[in-house]
Amino acid sequence: MAGRRSLGVAERIGEAVVEASTKFRPDMLRAYARAAEAERNPTALWVEETLVANAKCSAERCFALCDDTGTPHVYVEVGDGCVLPAGFLEEVREGLRKGMDALPTRPMAVRGDEVERVGQLKGLATEPGELVPGSFLLAQCPGEAVQVTVLMLGGGPELRARTYRIFHQRSLAVVLDEVAEWANEMMPLLGCTPATLAVGIGRTHFEASSLVLKAMREGSLDCQSEWEQRLTRKVNEIGVGALGVGGNTTVLGSFLRIGPQRASGFRIVSLRPCCCMEPRRATVSFSFP
Amino acid sequence: MKPRSLITPLRLPDVVQMEVGDLIEITGVIYTGRDAILPQLVRELDEGRWGGPDLNGGVIFHTGVSVAGVGPTTSNKKEIESSIGPLSRLGIRLHIGKGKLSSSTVQELAHFGSVFAITPPTTALFRDRVTAQRVVAFPNEGMEAMYELTVVRFPAVVAVARNGTIWDNSGGWIGRAIPAGSAPGA
Repeated sequence: MAGRRSLGVAERIGEAVVEASTKFRPDMLRAYARAAEAERNPTALWVEETLVANAKCSAERCFALCDDTGTPHVYVEVGDGCVLPAGFLEEVREGLRKGMDALPTRPMAVRGDEVERVGQLKGLATEPGELVPGSFLLAQCPGEAVQVTVLMLGGGPELRARTYRIFHQRSLAVVLDEVAEWANEMMPLLGCTPATLAVGIGRTHFEASSLVLKAMREGSLDCQSEWEQRLTRKVNEIGVGALGVGGNTTVLGSFLRIGPQRASGFRIVSLRPCCCMEPRRATVSFSFP
Repeated sequence: MKPRSLITPLRLPDVVQMEVGDLIEITGVIYTGRDAILPQLVRELDEGRWGGPDLNGGVIFHTGVSVAGVGPTTSNKKEIESSIGPLSRLGIRLHIGKGKLSSSTVQELAHFGSVFAITPPTTALFRDRVTAQRVVAFPNEGMEAMYELTVVRFPAVVAVARNGTIWDNSGGWIGRAIPAGSAPGA
């Protein structure tokens, strides 16, 4: 807002957009190294090595990892002892704009009113920063700081993601086996494998989707639970492999988040098959004394 | 892996020699197209209204072109996949994208003697493989406009060719059996 003193948030959020869009996380690089070591299909190995070479080039030269630079989504965790200052969220939005213009990301905002936007009837914006971010998700955390995670979500995974009910039959194994079946349908169609499966299990479609965002914000390929490993193993047994050429690694790992549940025979499950570049994320921490 | 080198426009022997699983490297001029323009391109060619470059023996890369670079978009999206058969009929010999195609599209490719190849979304590396670019049609579509790209040793893997596909026709993978315990997560 005009006249308000800057909080210094926008610049760091802009840097987070660039970092998320240009760098593989260390746990991703280690997962790719493990995949390459286990790979028996030479074509899949070529794909895996090429993806890592791309990530190195991207980080060194500050190029986008993928031309689908994605739609920014923001996960805000506010410490119990923190009061958000006025103008904070507007500076986050400004930072997203700055980051997208600076990289630059792909200009893909669709122009026009509601009807025109759906039909893509008025063309596209020319500036990357005109892309409006997705809804912000707010969560509570311990401490005095506020942490903002920027996630850049590409279109391919959105084309394949699914949120639907699964009858659990009093077993998480039953639920995850059905999730594995979903994933096995998705993997050849996705193309951009090896994927990472982000899964949320909740009571409502909104809650399950929110848990997927939380899973993408928190998940580490270095630290996989027994259930995450089980899901990964089931999908890798199909052998779709990197880019669909066949091979040992169709998914690098799984990020599973399970929320509160309700008394019923069904669970609402959301599965987002993050592509070989994802989750593209970066977290920034702020303190406001 | 030793790649097979191809120069555009492709000739019949180039296409006939391509086999599923081949790593290829393309040098020359290729064209881009994705959801917004491929159906328009098919219509204009079919109706004899096409005023753009000669696409005979051509290569279509399913990508947008923007300041962020280039990279494959999903080829099994309705408007893209439905263009593959007609464009093959009209002279496109190689389609590059990503993702599994339907068995009917695979049959169309075989019928018209064209090939589908997939390429990883390595946008940063592609910057050195694309040496020139210019809009040649549908400029109002922004990053979805049709571009002519000049490429040098642009890599791809043949996914559909005369000898089959990297997928079987029932939807499963026909590739190598994965030894128990060898996959990550095992």
